[in-house]
This record gives sequence, structure tokens and C-alpha cells, in this order.
Amino acid sequence: MREHEIYARWLAVGTRIAFGVLVATFLVYMAGLLEPLVHPRELARLWVLPADKFVAASGAPTGWGWLAFLGKGDYLNFAGVAALATISIVCYARIVPALPRLHAALAAIQIAVLLAAALA
Amino acid sequence: MEWWIWPIALFAATFAMGIVAVLAGVGGGVLFVPIVSAFFPFHLDFVRAAGLLIALTSALSAAPTLLSSGLANLRLAMPLALVGSITSIVGALVGLALPTQAVQVSLGVAVLAIALVMWRSGRSEHPHVSRPDALGSALGMHGVYHDPALGREVRWQVHRTPAGLVIFGAIGVLAGLFGLGAGWANVPALNLLMGAPLKLSVGTSGLILSVVDTSAAWVYLNRGAVLPVVVVPSLIGVMLGARVGARLLPRTPAHIVKRIVLTVLVLAGARALLKGLGI
Repeated sequence: MREHEIYARWLAVGTRIAFGVLVATFLVYMAGLLEPLVHPRELARLWVLPADKFVAASGAPTGWGWLAFLGKGDYLNFAGVAALATISIVCYARIVPALPRLHAALAAIQIAVLLAAALA
Repeated sequence: MEWWIWPIALFAATFAMGIVAVLAGVGGGVLFVPIVSAFFPFHLDFVRAAGLLIALTSALSAAPTLLSSGLANLRLAMPLALVGSITSIVGALVGLALPTQAVQVSLGVAVLAIALVMWRSGRSEHPHVSRPDALGSALGMHGVYHDPALGREVRWQVHRTPAGLVIFGAIGVLAGLFGLGAGWANVPALNLLMGAPLKLSVGTSGLILSVVDTSAAWVYLNRGAVLPVVVVPSLIGVMLGARVGARLLPRTPAHIVKRIVLTVLVLAGARALLKGLGI
């Protein structure tokens, strides 16, 4: 089926790019090339806290707030994480035209669900 | 202890987990959450988010090959992934709202239950499906794939689709709640309940996982529960370990590795349970 080939091709390329971005940005973070928002020593004190308390104590962004901190070593990594979590949305969008009507509708609902999770 | 010791220890531990996961035929995520939450200092929220991202990345990496070879099927995956991705959002939101101890106790129970499922559940190479159900037929859940081991085309169809949708809804909640990955539940549901051939079930399970975990991963990301210092060393460790595991696979007795994994899961599950109970 044509949709399998398209989905597989986009998934393979997308995953490679996202994983590459994730590893590259982590190297930048660990090498200290960019100042982090939360210093690692402070991070080690805070990572025992639940996420909501961590956010309150560190001033870490929630939602898409990380976009404003891409210049910080730690939050630069979020570009790779977000890319990994976007690949399936892109692949579904790409195969919609190749699907019969019922499956195209399912794919459209799936995209809406994933976008709702991403934007909520 | 210096902070940088933890990412290095995490890399070493996840590298070993990646090897063992491949040898035992389980996903890395199912080992990661119970072991790391039991033996590392990170809060369970960050461990669950990392577990989801590990399961997601492993599934995304494997899916293209499985799709191209016909061992993963989009039309089988799409309805099940849709239900699972909606319920995984619910699971993730509930997990982040519940008190840590309640999640810890539930995690312990879930991990012990997974060990039981892995120990007891049978598998059927080519289940007999005498008649597909109406919903499965309408959704196009049938097809043909080439099995290189058999050297022939294998025709397949499924039954009990409504029950399958309900089960995948429940699996989605667990995936979002615990960040465990869900191959341990997806494969028996596809194979034993819906009657999909085993190889197709394993391949399609990964494809479903890649969608279900995507929606839950966004919830954790949006709530500030993702720590790169936990996620990235673990991802690299599991991926590299899986490569080594794949090379060791032909010369390793699978039943011994599986017993070791079951023992580790029981120990980690019991520790999570006791930790949650404050014992």
C-alpha cells in the first residue's frame, strides 16, 4: 500500500533528524557552550521534587514557554524532544491524501488529538 | 555526590537495560521506569516522562523497517492508536495530578502484574480467525504480508475489534500514567485477543506505541516534567545497548534472559510498592 511507503519514508527521515538534534543539543549543554537556565548543581537539588514543585522552585517554563529559552543550554534540548513528539503528526498529515475516505477521517481525528495534546 | 555522576550512571544502567531488553524481547521502557525510579534520585515524574520518550524513540526507530516489510500495518494500527492516544492523555494528566505515593504504589502493582503477564501469557504464531467481525472489516483490518521464515505470503484478518478498542483504551491509560511503554500489553491484545499473526502483532504494536506515547509525551513536556539530563543519556544508552543486544541475540539463551528480566521486574516492582507504602 502506498501509504505505508510514504509513512515509512517520512518517519525514517524525521526520526533521524530529531535524534540527531537531540544528541547535538545535549553535547552543547554538557560542554557548557551555552549558559543553562538551571545550573546542574541546582538541578541536582531540585530533581527530587515533583514536576509542579520543580517548575515553581526553578522558574522553569511550562507549555511552549521553552521556546523563549532556546538560547539556554538545557532548554535547547527541548527542540529535539519536541521534534520527536512531532514526527507522527507530520507522518499522519502526509498520508491523508493517499488514504480512502474513512481512513483519511481517522487520520484527521488522530492529528487533531495529537495537536490538542501538544497545544493544551 | 557530584551531579555529573548521575547522567553517567544512567547511561551505564540504560546501556545494560538496552542489551537485556532486546535479548528478552521486551521494550526498554518497561525496565527503565521501575529500575530508575527505584535506584536513582530523580522524582518519579521525570522518570516516567523519560520512560515515555525512550519507548517513543525506540518505536519510531523501528517502525520504518517494519512498515516497509509489511510486518506493521497502518490500517490495523490507526483505530487502536487513536483510542490509545486519547486515553494516554488522560493517564498522563491523572499521573501528574495524583500524589507521588499513590502513583508509586500503583506503579509497583502494575510492574508486578506485567511480570505476571509476561510469565503466563502464551503466544500464537498464526491464530485461527474463522470470520472477521463487521467493524474490523469496515476498518480494513486485513491484509497480506511476506514471511521470509516461511517463504510464503501470509493472509490475515482480525476479530473481536470492539473488545480490542476497549483494551487499547485501557492500555493507553497505563502508558500515559506510568510511562512504561506498552508492548507487553499490545502484543497479547493484538495476537491473542484480536487474532493477528504474532509477527504482525509485534510490528504493529511498535507503530501503535509511537502514536500513543506521542500524545502522553506532549502532556509531560507541557507540564515541565522533561529533564534533558535524564532523558538524553537514557535514550542514547538504551539505543546503543539495543544494538549490542541485537548482535548478542543469536548466541544467547532467551529463556535464561527472560527469567532474569522477570526477577528484576519483580524486585523493582516490589521496591516501588514498598517505597510507595513508606516501608
